[in-house]
Amino acid sequence: MSMLATKEKLSVTGDLSTPETRIEDGGRRLGLMLTLPAQVLVLFIAVFPLLMQLYISLTDWSPLDGIGWWHAYELWNNFANYTDLAADSRFWDALGRTALVMLICVPAEFLLGLGLAILFMDNFAGKRVFYSIMLIPMMVVPAVTGYMFFMLFQSGGPVNDIISTLIGRPFALAWLSSPGTAMVAVMIADIWQWTPLMFLILLAGLVGVPEDQMRAATLLGASWTQRFHTIVLPKMKTIIIIALSIRVIENFKIFDTLYIMTGGGPGVATETISVYIYKVTQQDLIWGYVAAIALVILIALSILVSLAISRMNAAKEA
Amino acid sequence: MTAIHLENLVKRFGAFTALKTMDLEIRDGEFMALLGPSGCGKSTTMNMIAGMEQPSEGRITFDGRDMNGVAIGRRGVGFVFQNYAIFTHMNVYDNLAYGLKVRGTPASEIDRRVKAMADFLQLTPMLDKPSAKLSVNILQRLAIGRSAIVEPAIFLLDEPLSNVDAAFRAVMRTELKHLQRQFRQTMVYVTHDQLEAMTMADRIAVMDHGVLQQVGTPLEVYNDPVNLFVADFIGSPGMNLLKGTLADSDRGLVVDLGMLGVTAPLDPALSAIARVNRVREVVYGFRPERVVPAAAGQGLAIPVTFIERIGARTVVHFGDREQRVKAVFDNDVAVQAGETVHVAVEPGFARLFDAATGVAIREV
Amino acid sequence: MAGISFRNVTKRFGKTVAVNKASFDIQPGEFFCFFGPPLSGKSTVLKLILGLETPDEGEILIGGKPVNRVSPADRNVAMVFQNLALFPHMTAGENVRFPLVERKVPEEKIRARVEAVSAKLHISHLLHKPPAQLSGGERQRVAIGRALVRDPVAYLMDDPISALDARLREETRVELKRIQRDLGQTLLYVTHDQEEAMSIADRMAIMEEGEIRQIGSPTEIYDTPVSRYVARLLGAPMMNILPAVRGQALEAGDGTISLPLDVVPAGAAHIGLRPEDLKVEPWSDTRPGRPATVYEVEPLGGYTVVTVDTGAEKLKALMRGQPDIRLDSAVALSCNPARAHFFNQAGEAVSL
Repeated sequence: MSMLATKEKLSVTGDLSTPETRIEDGGRRLGLMLTLPAQVLVLFIAVFPLLMQLYISLTDWSPLDGIGWWHAYELWNNFANYTDLAADSRFWDALGRTALVMLICVPAEFLLGLGLAILFMDNFAGKRVFYSIMLIPMMVVPAVTGYMFFMLFQSGGPVNDIISTLIGRPFALAWLSSPGTAMVAVMIADIWQWTPLMFLILLAGLVGVPEDQMRAATLLGASWTQRFHTIVLPKMKTIIIIALSIRVIENFKIFDTLYIMTGGGPGVATETISVYIYKVTQQDLIWGYVAAIALVILIALSILVSLAISRMNAAKEA
Repeated sequence: MTAIHLENLVKRFGAFTALKTMDLEIRDGEFMALLGPSGCGKSTTMNMIAGMEQPSEGRITFDGRDMNGVAIGRRGVGFVFQNYAIFTHMNVYDNLAYGLKVRGTPASEIDRRVKAMADFLQLTPMLDKPSAKLSVNILQRLAIGRSAIVEPAIFLLDEPLSNVDAAFRAVMRTELKHLQRQFRQTMVYVTHDQLEAMTMADRIAVMDHGVLQQVGTPLEVYNDPVNLFVADFIGSPGMNLLKGTLADSDRGLVVDLGMLGVTAPLDPALSAIARVNRVREVVYGFRPERVVPAAAGQGLAIPVTFIERIGARTVVHFGDREQRVKAVFDNDVAVQAGETVHVAVEPGFARLFDAATGVAIREV
Repeated sequence: MAGISFRNVTKRFGKTVAVNKASFDIQPGEFFCFFGPPLSGKSTVLKLILGLETPDEGEILIGGKPVNRVSPADRNVAMVFQNLALFPHMTAGENVRFPLVERKVPEEKIRARVEAVSAKLHISHLLHKPPAQLSGGERQRVAIGRALVRDPVAYLMDDPISALDARLREETRVELKRIQRDLGQTLLYVTHDQEEAMSIADRMAIMEEGEIRQIGSPTEIYDTPVSRYVARLLGAPMMNILPAVRGQALEAGDGTISLPLDVVPAGAAHIGLRPEDLKVEPWSDTRPGRPATVYEVEPLGGYTVVTVDTGAEKLKALMRGQPDIRLDSAVALSCNPARAHFFNQAGEAVSL
C-alpha cells in the first residue's frame, strides 16, 4: 500500500512540493547529460548538410569532376553561382509560377477546408461516412494523384466528357497541352489532394473554441457572422497560422503530382522551383548552382515561417 | 423587469424525461432560486428560459409574450455561466462592451456605458487588463457586468458561486443579493446549495427528479416543507425525521417512536390535523434548532452519543444509527457524551409526514 | 498507536520555505488536524511524516524514535487518500486485503486480519460488493479498513471527504470521528474546511505560510485566537474586525460600537467581534452613540445572518431563530465586552 500511496499522493496534492520542483534541485545536470548524445546527433543531421550545401554553393563542384566534395574549394568561383542566379530568368519564372500556385491553392484550400469544417460542426445524416471519405485524398500517394489527374484531363478524358454533357455539345480541350489550362489542372489536383488536411486541422481548431463563450455571445445578441468574427477567428488564430504555414511550405515544394501530370510542360509553362531544380540536377549536373538555389529558397521560406510564428506568438500573448 | 411564466413545461431527451410538467410563475423583479440535487431538472429549466433548449411541451411567456420560437439573442436574457464564460481573448473593456458592439451601439455611447458599468462594479482599475488571468471574484463581477450592460429583462445565473472558496462565498452571497436589489431585475438562480438559495432568494423552487416539489419563501420551505424530500434537503443540519406510529394515550395523541423507546406528545393543533387525516404510520419531523431542554419526565429522554462544537453552534447527536436526533444549541450548552438528557420540541415546531407517501400532514 | 513529534523541522523547495521551524507533539490516540489556506504547508507536513520528503533541518519522531532516515515503507504510517481511491475493479473485500496480498502475507493470516478489521468497522456484510455499489460513508469505512489491515502506528488523511456533497460531509465526518474514537488510533487530518476541522479534531494546528501559528483544541482556538489571522480562519461568518479609536470609550464602526475603557487592554488597535456576539437591536433615539443600517438579511432557517453597514464597514451578526429585521432600518449595535477580542497594530491578540 505504501509504495502505491507514495506515487498516487505525489500526483494528487497541490501543495508546494510537486515532483517537478524536486527534479529541478539536482536533476537538471543529469537531464542535460542524458540528452546530450541525442542533441549532438540532431545537430549533426540538421546542421552538417546545411554547411556542406553552403560550402558547395560557393564552388563549381560537380560529382563528375572526379574530386571529393571536401576538395571543392579548388573550384571556388567567387560567388558566381549567386550572381548567375540573380540573372537566371528561368529561375525567376519558376519562382513566380511557384508563388502563383501557392497564392491560389493555399487560400482555396483554406476556404474550402474551413467551410467543410464548419459544416462538420453540425450533425447531419451520414456524417461519419462523409468524414472518412473526406480524408481519402490526403492518403493517396501524390504520384498516384498525378497519374489520376493526368488521366482525368486527357482530351478524351472524363473531365471533358462531363463538360460536354453539361453544355450539350462536344468539348475536347487538351488541358495538359496548352500552357494556361495545364496550370489550372495542376492547381485543381493540388486543391483536391490537400483540402482535407486543411479541413482536419481547422476542424480541430473549431472544436477547441469554447462552447460556453459562443453561447454567451449568442445570449448577448451576436449574430452568426459576428460570433465568427469576434470569437471563432480570434480563438483560432494560432491554428490558422499553423495550417497556413504547413501548406505554404508544402506547396512551395510541389513536385510529384505536377511532374507526372505535365513534366513541367508544355515547354516550361508549369515549371515550378522544384521541377526546375530537378532538371538542373539531373540534366545539367551543376551541383554547386543547385546548392545555391536551394539555399536561397530555404532562406526565403525561413523568413516567411518566422514571420508567421511571430504573428502567432503575438496572438497568444494578446 | 419581466415576469416569467412557465406553463406545463415538459422536457424530454429521448426516452428520458428531464422535466415533468412544471408550472411556475416568477414575478417581476423577483430573485427566484431553482434548488435541487444534480439531475433534478433545474438547469434544463433555466436553459429553456434562456432559449438554449426547446421545451417538448408547454410554453414559456415573458410578460405574457410566448417565447417559444424566439431566438436566444432576442429574448432579452442575461446569462451568467457557472465558469463565467468570459471571452479570454479580450480585455475587460472589450468583454463589457461586447453586447453593445454586436448591437451596433455608437462607439461614444458604448464607451460611456462601459465606464459607468465598470465604475459601478469597481472594475475601472482593470479595464485594460487581459481577462484570462483575473481572479474568480473579478471574473464573477465581469460576467455580471457583461450581461447587465445590455439591460436584459431577466438575469439567469447558473451556480455562479460553485468555483469560489468557502470563506469568500459568504461575502459574494451578500454582494450578489445586494446587487440584485440595486438592479431590481428578475433573477433566476440555479443552485444545488440550499444555503445559497436560503440566504439570497426571495422565493425558492425546490426540485427533485424533474418534479417541482415546493415553491415558497426561504422560511416557508424551511418551516413548512411539503414533503420529506424538502424537509431533508433544506437546512443544515437537516430536519430530524423519526419514524413512528400515532397512538392515543392519557396525554392525548402521541407519536410512538418505537426504536427510541419513547413517545412524543403532539401539540393540540397538530393532534387535530392528525386525527382527521387518519394516518397511523407517520414520520415525526422537527428542526435541530427547535430542540429545547425539558424537565425530567417530559419530552424525549435520549442518550447523547456525540458532540460537535462548531464555532457559535454546538451540534449534539442523540440516539443510535437508526433513529438519530440532532440538536443545535448555542456554544455554551453543558452536555456530556454518554449522559441521558431530556429534550423536547419547541411547541408548534413539530411536523408530521405520512410515512407511506412522504407528504406533509398539514391541513384538515 | 504512537505519538508523532516535530522538533524545529524546516523544509525548503528551492527558495520557497514550505515548512518553517515547525514543532509539535501529537499524543498517541489523538485526532489531530492541520488547518490552513492552500499552500500553507499542511500537506508538506503530512509528506514529511510519511517520509515522502526529507526535512532540511530538525527532527521527526514517531513513537519517540527519530525517523529522519527511516524509509516510508518502514515508518508504518498509513495514508487515506482524498477521494478515498478505492480500486473500482475490485470488491470491497479485495480492496481491504490488497495491502497484505501485496506484502505476500500468508493467506490464513490475511483472512483473520481482514475479518477482525471488518468486524471493527462494521463492513463485514459489504465485502462482496464493488465500491460503486457502496454509499459514501461505506466507501469511507472500506478505505479506512484498507489502511487498517496493516496495523499502522498512525493514520494520515489529506482532505479525505472534500469531494462529497455538503450533507454527506456532515454525516461522514461524524462517522469518521466515531470510528477513530472506537479504534483509539492516532489520526492526522488535513482539511481546508473550518467547520470540519472544528467538528472532529481533538486538537488542531493552524498553519500560515509554512509556520504553525497556534496549537490547541478547536474551542481554545475559537475562543482565544492568538492573532487576527487565526481569528478569521475559524468561524462562519468570519469574525468582524474593526479599527478602534480610544476616546472617552473605545469606539469602533464610526461610533456605532463603544466599549468602556476599563475592559480594553493596552495597545488594542482593533476590536474583534464574533458574529454571534454582535447584538443587533432596533434603534431608539434615547440610546447614546450612532445607529447602523441593515444592509442585508440572510435567513439560514435556524439562524439569521444580518449584515449591517456602520458607514465605515460592513459587519455580520449571527442571530438565533428568524428575527423580524427590516432592510435599511436603523439598528443599535452592542456586545458583551467579555466576548470581545482585542488585537494590537501587529495583529497579535492582547488581553487585560
